[in-house]
Amino acid sequence: MSDKLNVTLHEKDLKKVSAAQKVTKAASKTLTYAFLFLIAIIVLFPFYWMIISSLKSLDEYKLSVPTLFPREILWHNYVEAFDAANLGTLFKNTVIVGVVSTLLSLVITVLSAFAFARLEFKGKNALFAALLGTMMIPGELFTITNYQTVNEFGWMDTYTVLIVPFLVSIFYIYLLRQNFLQIPNELYLAAKVDGTSDIKYLWKVMIPLALPTLISITILKMMGAWNSYMWPNLVTKSAEMELITNGLRNAYTDASGDTNFPVQMAAVAIVSAPLFLVFLFLRKYIMKGVSRSGIKG
Amino acid sequence: MKLRKILISVLLVVAMLSSMLMLFSCNKNKLAPDFVMPEKGFDTSKKVTITFYHTMGSNLRDVLDAYIVEFNKLYPNIVIEHEQVGNYDDVRKTISTEITVGNQPNIAYCYPDHVALYNMSQAVQTLDSLIDADKTVKDALGNETVIGLTQAQKDDFIKGYYEEGMQFGDGKMYTLPLSKSTEVLYYNKTFFEANNLQVPKTWDELEALCAKIKTIDPDCIPLGYDSESNWFITMCEQLGSKYTTATGENNFLFNNQTNRDFVAKFRDWYKKGYVTTQEISGGYTSELFTMAASEKGNSYMSIGSSAGATHQRPEKVSGAYPFDVGIATIPQMNADNPKVISQGPSLCIFKKADPQEVLASWLFVKYLTTTVEFQAEFSMVSGYVPVIKSVKDHPVYADFLEKADGGDRIAALSAKVCLEQEHAYYTSPAFNGSSVARDQVGYLIQTCLVADWKDAEVADKIKSEFAKAVKECNYQIGK
Amino acid sequence: MVESKHKWKAWLYLAPAIILLLIFTVWPIINTLHMSVQEGFNQAQANIGVTFDYGFGNFQNVIEYDYFKDCLFNTILLCVLTVPISTILALVIAVCLNSIGPLSRFLQTIYFLPYVTNSIAIGMVFAAMFNMVGNNFGNENELVITAGIINNVIEFFGGDPINWINAGSSYWANITVMVVYIVWNALPFKILILLGGLQSVNKQYYDAAKVDGTSRFRVFSKITVPLLSPMIAYVVITGFIGGFKEYSSIVGIFGEKMGPTGDARRLNTMVGFIYDAIDTQQGRASAAALILFGIIFVVTLINLAVSKKKTHY
Repeated sequence: MSDKLNVTLHEKDLKKVSAAQKVTKAASKTLTYAFLFLIAIIVLFPFYWMIISSLKSLDEYKLSVPTLFPREILWHNYVEAFDAANLGTLFKNTVIVGVVSTLLSLVITVLSAFAFARLEFKGKNALFAALLGTMMIPGELFTITNYQTVNEFGWMDTYTVLIVPFLVSIFYIYLLRQNFLQIPNELYLAAKVDGTSDIKYLWKVMIPLALPTLISITILKMMGAWNSYMWPNLVTKSAEMELITNGLRNAYTDASGDTNFPVQMAAVAIVSAPLFLVFLFLRKYIMKGVSRSGIKG
Repeated sequence: MKLRKILISVLLVVAMLSSMLMLFSCNKNKLAPDFVMPEKGFDTSKKVTITFYHTMGSNLRDVLDAYIVEFNKLYPNIVIEHEQVGNYDDVRKTISTEITVGNQPNIAYCYPDHVALYNMSQAVQTLDSLIDADKTVKDALGNETVIGLTQAQKDDFIKGYYEEGMQFGDGKMYTLPLSKSTEVLYYNKTFFEANNLQVPKTWDELEALCAKIKTIDPDCIPLGYDSESNWFITMCEQLGSKYTTATGENNFLFNNQTNRDFVAKFRDWYKKGYVTTQEISGGYTSELFTMAASEKGNSYMSIGSSAGATHQRPEKVSGAYPFDVGIATIPQMNADNPKVISQGPSLCIFKKADPQEVLASWLFVKYLTTTVEFQAEFSMVSGYVPVIKSVKDHPVYADFLEKADGGDRIAALSAKVCLEQEHAYYTSPAFNGSSVARDQVGYLIQTCLVADWKDAEVADKIKSEFAKAVKECNYQIGK
Repeated sequence: MVESKHKWKAWLYLAPAIILLLIFTVWPIINTLHMSVQEGFNQAQANIGVTFDYGFGNFQNVIEYDYFKDCLFNTILLCVLTVPISTILALVIAVCLNSIGPLSRFLQTIYFLPYVTNSIAIGMVFAAMFNMVGNNFGNENELVITAGIINNVIEFFGGDPINWINAGSSYWANITVMVVYIVWNALPFKILILLGGLQSVNKQYYDAAKVDGTSRFRVFSKITVPLLSPMIAYVVITGFIGGFKEYSSIVGIFGEKMGPTGDARRLNTMVGFIYDAIDTQQGRASAAALILFGIIFVVTLINLAVSKKKTHY
């Protein structure tokens, strides 16, 4: 109470600041906005590019000094990208693979991050360093071996082969561990004294506190599932198992076998749209953050 | 220390796991046997499913689907499942991975380099025994035909294309051509006629012509050559100098005086502003060619793929093409013994344990490559040219060629020019490393043309660049 | 200690991750090791039963090759340049975003947009922006036909166009373009992470600072950065790891030749070096990958050690 009183007093003092300072403040605000808008324009440009490219003819697209606006708008590219694929099955498969792999991945990530952040066990640091180390090998080197492995397991052309091999991401474990580490250990020790189980503690305290990170992970993982195509292309053969990017790729080439980039761009735009919507929808959860967390209360 | 203990236990787990896994994936020989003709030939009563990987866009897939229906009228028991596996590189990567577990398709689009790669696992079926098979098969329409190729069918193939299937150093036939293209010279006919210029037949004529064009329009680059690699390899062929060989200790023979000399000459041309290439100009040379003559840096000649003719046509200005495009054969060293490159997809068949699958694949490959109607329609849609001569007599295709012009029907014109030089096609040897050589000689042209060297040091610098390229080739194939 | 009783629990929680990692990560690594010590190993011939001698020839082969050092140099240079630049820029943007009220959400959304676009497409856009079409760049016969947007802007402000990525361009011009592109590419993710961190920072710290009349820079360096240190450590470490695996961004700008015309492969990186060999020379590719692994492992250990000292949980 007395703290609050102090603050209000100080704020009264602050109100007496000179006009010069106000000007400085306004100027810095303007500068901040100018900077942010400049960055926004730079960031937006390629996105704009994708859209206009998806509406160009292949000939116009190939000009080495490109046109900033299509000479003729070809909505047809979108129709072509749509037509070439069996969208119902593709969306269904992609959603199944995306949702299941995201959920499983979240469970695995939360448990692992919890173990690394909260529990003490022999070899924790060595194991963690080793795991980080595995991120450093270019993934393509694994493809040959993993392909042989899933073939031995008899997983070819199933949902399993699309979901299981990439469930564990050291990236996510690392990210979440860092987040968990921020939560004071006192909360955990207190919970232990109260006799709260680890799982309950995880569910009631850690997960709400780390929600922004978890949602970021969800988006990243969904996006990965949505955008992946080298692996699915390799391990699925039947049309019933195809994912969206594999299906849409059929629309990408023209008669001579060249990639039809505008149609590809249109397909990319179609594929990106749901992701973008998901992001728009979830953004506020991400950004709300830990401000309403248990630390204050 | 605790850490050491943990490390040891981790290592133990890893060792156990590895030995376990090694057991199950240990050295199983994934090699399917070579084809042996079954006693009773092709069994038309048993259902066989054949997979076919290609890079066809949707319009070509429609053509293919239509002819699969026709094919199934002959062989209802053969189910063709075809799939567009991205571009040529994707096809190569997918198949070379699939070969490691024996999952490869039955038929695939291929370039010679791909076949050389698959051949390291001996996965490609040689076609000789199929081509020569004299057993007959009775199709569903009741016609009895020989399984192999008849002499007439063999002779119908354009010789250069057909022999491409045998360029693997062992004299065996690995592929059949499906559709082809070559390089042609596109020239600005309107400009040539207005200035009374002759289309160059030889490189010497071309050099003189470039000098002349430069005096007419100093701000132009007379010639654009799209592919540096093709340029180098074609020059080797035309000059009769060494490039590569599929056999022997040393595969890479392109570092010789003749080749260094022509590169030095092209450097001189480049410095005079006569010529540019796709990589050097920073864009397709067709863009320079289709620019208006009034603009700075336009070109009046362009050497590029005959399948890309529509890209060499200028945009219409108020309903008419600003200039007429002429198409001719590329310049030669010796006009009496012309050499032009052969490009475009071929088909290869993979070995399978079941000889019926191989036979069914063969029948389909044979159908696609020898059926006049399919070859005609496929060529008209794709811009490539057919691989059999009799297509020219097909009324629809003949009409297509008949109406060729340098404007709306430019694709037909390029096909026509392409067909006229079928005797001149060459192919280079394919082996493990031939694609590396191709890349390296392309880089050689680029480097030696643009490098900022003093006149006195040019010869030495070119020598060292060539030596570096050969070294790199050898390194890339593991030597 | 409370924790010591729960040792087995820790392993239980880790079990799913560890099992999957053993199968899909550790086993491929072992297989990689196995391939790397078979001299001249290639999968195609191994399939048909060809065997290879054991030895360290692959490693020797890689290290002794002059070109390998160029690739290593490029990789380290790009890492050292891009990680600090992108981190600082992302931090500044995140702090600015956090300081403004209206439009903050709108701008956040925009900054994330590149993340949902295709990276190949973006690379082509950048290449087109820096591209120049013409002939004889840098000689007396120079003929610039058209230049990309960047050079148009430079000319608009009265400067001379720069040959960024075309034939005859300088190494440092190439590196500049790469740094711009890589930083641009890295920003959305870093902003997302840092902004998330910023918004979870307890407002009380800032209120206290406000009361004390602390300067903005002091608030930034004494409060924001320390409180964000776990997030900063995260983006730096992953930035370095990603940086050492740099490859596709260079393909995006220069194509698979990995350099400007006339000096192909000038900008090749460690991963590019591995990819060159991966189709036919898996033994050598494995050896190079393990060398890269070793380098990143050491760098990450150093990073972790530093961040342990500097981060404030």
